[in-house]
Amino acid sequence: MQKSVILHFPRTLLDKPIISHIVKTFDVEMNILQAAIMPEEAGHMFSILRGGEKAVQETLAFLERLKVRVLFPARNLVLHEEKCVHCGACVGPCRTGALSVDPETRRVSFDSERCIACNLCIPACAYGAIESVSEHLRAANGFLEDGPSGEPMPPSGAGSLSPSSA
Amino acid sequence: MPKTFEEINEKIAAKRAVVVTAEEMIGVVEEKGAKKAAETVDVVTTGTFGPMCSSGAQINVGHPTPRMKIQKAWLNGVPAQAGLAAVDLYVGASALPEDDPANKVFPGRFAYGGGHVIEDLVRGKDVLLEARAYGTDEYPRTKLETLINLASVNRAILLNPRNAYQNYNVAVNASVSRPLYTYLGVLLPKRSNANYATAGQLSPLLNDPFYRTIGVGTRIFLGGGTGYVFFAGSQHDPTVKRTKQGVPVEGAGTLSVTGDLKGMSADFLRGVSVRGYGASLAVGIGVPIPVLDEEMARFTAVRDEDILAPVVDYGTDYAENTGKVLARVSYAALRSGTIEVDGKKVRTASVSSVPKAREIAEALKRRIEAGDFRLGKPVETLPGPGEGESMRPLVIRPPSTTAGGLSPPRTQRIEGG
Repeated sequence: MQKSVILHFPRTLLDKPIISHIVKTFDVEMNILQAAIMPEEAGHMFSILRGGEKAVQETLAFLERLKVRVLFPARNLVLHEEKCVHCGACVGPCRTGALSVDPETRRVSFDSERCIACNLCIPACAYGAIESVSEHLRAANGFLEDGPSGEPMPPSGAGSLSPSSA
Repeated sequence: MPKTFEEINEKIAAKRAVVVTAEEMIGVVEEKGAKKAAETVDVVTTGTFGPMCSSGAQINVGHPTPRMKIQKAWLNGVPAQAGLAAVDLYVGASALPEDDPANKVFPGRFAYGGGHVIEDLVRGKDVLLEARAYGTDEYPRTKLETLINLASVNRAILLNPRNAYQNYNVAVNASVSRPLYTYLGVLLPKRSNANYATAGQLSPLLNDPFYRTIGVGTRIFLGGGTGYVFFAGSQHDPTVKRTKQGVPVEGAGTLSVTGDLKGMSADFLRGVSVRGYGASLAVGIGVPIPVLDEEMARFTAVRDEDILAPVVDYGTDYAENTGKVLARVSYAALRSGTIEVDGKKVRTASVSSVPKAREIAEALKRRIEAGDFRLGKPVETLPGPGEGESMRPLVIRPPSTTAGGLSPPRTQRIEGG
């Protein structure tokens, strides 16, 4: 199976050979799409894990034990479900029906198979529940880069849009 | 025989009150008719959750030693209004840090504003208070920098001048050839999409269209805790056109509400960042409506198909106050995902959350059934169509140099013009 993951490493793990341990011990391939270590020595990585289902589960459990923060992007989006209030504003701009409102429950759901990564849903969410993977990683980069609107993005381990993130 | 607030409150105290949500009431009245429904049902609960920009927190931070008469204040960099005695502050939901880029690079992010400060407080987080003062004999302190949080401050209340709009516009972009960024979201050119708000059939004031039971002193669910209506909200306008059932066909009544922030929850109070528009606060409100008689039973059974909303062009007509309405569509049509405007099909999206509105109506129902929530009989009901005034625009009158013998305002004198 394949699983896209974004990993946030605390600085305490800076010198630990985590990736090679995963590859050797669990026999999971790690295709690293983006990675960075920040001045304050925390790090983050966008990677696709590939291996048997059990092996991938063991890898995720291993990362959890190490207190690595793991996010599961859906297509090119990082969805913060705990921030979603199910208003449906993001459904308006979605042309493919990847985001949809259930006619009964009026709850919003995301079908990544239908997503074409057009990013039109991102500015529609006022609650910070939808980020693109690249924005999320850029924010995590701290002062290494300008933020999406040209302003310097403060370092924030969580990387989500609002400093009020839990 | 019509019921009274007192009778219903006695039943609530005895845990015998029959309470249903506004959506359940639709089924009750369909099945039994309004007369029987009025005999059986005591209270109908309503709910709504969405951005409500005219909101803020009024905080008494407590007196430091030595004392200070705060003249300027900032909470996490967001300016809070002082000038309310020594240590009373007000932080508005849309307040922004002075160095926020706003729309300099368009459309701006508005990542952190007053609404986010309020959410942080409700979450129990530490917030940085910075303050300056000119100093007096009894208030000698001139500078202050301290962390505060909701538990440490003397008192914090939500104090919202305008919440729970009774109906609202449906926004489209019919006149500008680029996307518009508004408080009703992103509007694509050529009327490609339409955004709307309110909770429709669950909405508090749409379930009591003539405000027979709602007014000063009404006890409400507010932000997860308990609050009260303290006045008609700003821009409360009962004079707008209504359907035969009395439902206003555009934005009409509003509520001014208040409550102790300490009982509230971030589940129902959220800072929001509306791209290109600004920061705000999403507020959850629920109003319990007593079914006093058959007419109230009919009112509280209002359905999305009975509520019409005006489609307004936010490209030109809104900004220019033309009052032009492109079409009137029902909430049933809005919720279907497509409406028709001038023969063209337009996709719709809501910025108000129905699941949260339902959660609020349900939570309020449970509180009342448990005997924990008595109805507040209004001291004065909100002004109705015969009593209230239409909204007045601000007519711009530039100050003149000679008219009426008034001396020119200071700035003109300094510039010599």
